[in-house]
Amino acid sequence: MAPHSTPRTSRRVAVLGGNRIPFARSNGKYAKASNQDMLTATVDGLVARYGLAGERLGEVVAGAVLKHSRDFNLTRETVLGTRLDPRTPAYDIQQACGTGLEAAILVANKIAVGQVDAGIAGGVDSASDAPIAVSEGLRQTLLAANRARSAVDRAKALAGLRPGHLLPAIPENVEPRTGLSMGEHMALTAAQWGITREAQDELAAASHQKLAAAYDRGFFDDLVTPYLGVSRDTNLRPDSSVEKLSTLKPVFGKGDGATMTAGNSTPLTDGASAVLLASEDWAAEHRLTPLAWFVDAETAAVDYVHGEEGLLMAPAYAVPRLLARNGLSLQDFDFYEIHEAFAATVLTTLKAWEDPDFCKARLGLDGPLGSIDRSKLNVNGSSLAAGHPFAATGGRIVASLAKQLNEAGGGRGLISICAAGGQGVVAILEA
Amino acid sequence: MTKEITLESAPDLRRIYATAALRRGSSSDTLPDVRVSRAGIRVDLDQLVAYSHVCRFPVDGILPATYPHLVAFPLQMSVMSGDRFPLPLMGAVHVENRIEVRRPIGTDEVLDVSVWAQDLRPHRRGRQVDLLSEVSVRGEVVWTGVSTYLSRSREHPEAPVSEPPSVGPLGSGGGGPVWRLGEGTGRAYAAVSGDWNPIHVHALTARPLGFPSAIAHGMYTYARTLSSLGPRLPGAGLTSRVWFRKPVRLPSTVRLRSVFEVGRTLSALEGARGEVEHAVVENTW
Repeated sequence: MAPHSTPRTSRRVAVLGGNRIPFARSNGKYAKASNQDMLTATVDGLVARYGLAGERLGEVVAGAVLKHSRDFNLTRETVLGTRLDPRTPAYDIQQACGTGLEAAILVANKIAVGQVDAGIAGGVDSASDAPIAVSEGLRQTLLAANRARSAVDRAKALAGLRPGHLLPAIPENVEPRTGLSMGEHMALTAAQWGITREAQDELAAASHQKLAAAYDRGFFDDLVTPYLGVSRDTNLRPDSSVEKLSTLKPVFGKGDGATMTAGNSTPLTDGASAVLLASEDWAAEHRLTPLAWFVDAETAAVDYVHGEEGLLMAPAYAVPRLLARNGLSLQDFDFYEIHEAFAATVLTTLKAWEDPDFCKARLGLDGPLGSIDRSKLNVNGSSLAAGHPFAATGGRIVASLAKQLNEAGGGRGLISICAAGGQGVVAILEA
Repeated sequence: MTKEITLESAPDLRRIYATAALRRGSSSDTLPDVRVSRAGIRVDLDQLVAYSHVCRFPVDGILPATYPHLVAFPLQMSVMSGDRFPLPLMGAVHVENRIEVRRPIGTDEVLDVSVWAQDLRPHRRGRQVDLLSEVSVRGEVVWTGVSTYLSRSREHPEAPVSEPPSVGPLGSGGGGPVWRLGEGTGRAYAAVSGDWNPIHVHALTARPLGFPSAIAHGMYTYARTLSSLGPRLPGAGLTSRVWFRKPVRLPSTVRLRSVFEVGRTLSALEGARGEVEHAVVENTW
């Protein structure tokens, strides 16, 4: 094929649809399902829904945060297990909780520049079927024995084994450079911003009520495929209320000022999601109607190691950059999807955008970004109710927001997802 | 006239510790005029990688700022275990340290090290002495260190006090790294540094020396502090000081709290709840 002599202009990228399996609380219904099992079921559900069997797509991009070493080529192995044309290339990415949205950005960018015409972006995580590593002492001893050239050297190396080496190393949900869990980090930020227990519980209760209402009106009928006997997210409590949530004991933070409970924090969850993205032409050729357009995206990171900024504050920095590039204000949106890692994360982000000092000193803006209309926030529920299988959250949100925009007959939506390592991934969809 | 002692290889620290237990130190008020040197030292890369992993430094072709101390330390012990040295080596406490990194040192550079003692002086709780270390590459001094050791003896309430700068109250962010230091922390650092001082190795070997449990090496918590500050510190022209306040009893959980200014960082290593100050580290450039 002859190379193009001039750069292509950017093409519009359509979100054609999505699929996910219901999310399940860890060590529950999906306890024995592997990442590859769940991602295969999810991608195959998407293939069935959009008639992609035998189709050779430009690429499939997905990832998992908690990953076994055997899953080095998880997405490609998944593709080989689906009804997609086995000649569809695939690769894995990992950007903590931003994985799913980042996967969509990568596919969208390739479509926009004309490198591919259609692709699937996804993510999966299992907190139940988690990899367990041998202890560092055992690992080093076994590696030394493996390097040994003679039986005697091998025996010498193995003689270094100690009983303590046999304890396994179970993955910890802590930031390697601070030793604090994500919840402990969030508790520090929530206290700094004065986020109240009541506000957090209200947001959590609303998330459950809105997700339940969305299921009841059939919103998820073409977004979710039942899996292993589960048809709704198992974390969902339709009868959740501020009164019930107020009885829970804090699990993060210290002393009387502790506000974060198991009810206003996301639980460990298993699940997978995938979205189908394509160029306008590809969509038309396949008689598929775009739900929304993937307009633009931005990522940011903050320096949280020594506490100068909160671990989960990066989206607060990414959004103003995205707005500026697109000539938009924070109020120019019909829907806001702010990932509920913790209720306090959403409330802190909104409060930061309302804060003149933060917006000037930290974001370098002339004034605050301002408030949003809360009735446009997470209208079909979010992670507090659905659960949060880390890499699967981005795909859940992209597909749900695209459908919501389509149902509303048009509009603009903002996605904001915080991620470990002080990162944030945000995007704009329009219909 | 300074007595020059040139060592062909690093002295065996385990032997020094074993024999030091028998020595009381001379009652002299003067330091022996001795300079101990070792030339042509090549960094053992396997040992450097192990040290870097334990202290969380990146392995990147440049020696960590604290690494030359490991090269100088056996020479310090050699000076301090000499017959005419006025303080007993056993029970000596590392109270302060200053490092000057004049330029980055490549892992493939050949190092010449010399060490001498200086400035024997009273301390509120005994007597203290500075051990000076100088690391050169082909005649150019690239790194210097001053390690201050206290030997508890007759108290000198009138002695001047070296107070570290105050880090101030906890910032509103409240963050900062938290380290869970296990019971074996001292052994892990001993294995990569060669410093098998019994007070760090095990509760059973620390107790006869007056500690209820093993305590972390000061140079370990100091190295962890510098590695945590990482690229915020310059590779050349750095002066780093640490004041060791209260020992870190193992196991324990500690928290590092830092403030950043132009040309300066100030950090406090504290108990997890801020109840005790273990060390203060000031970096300037």
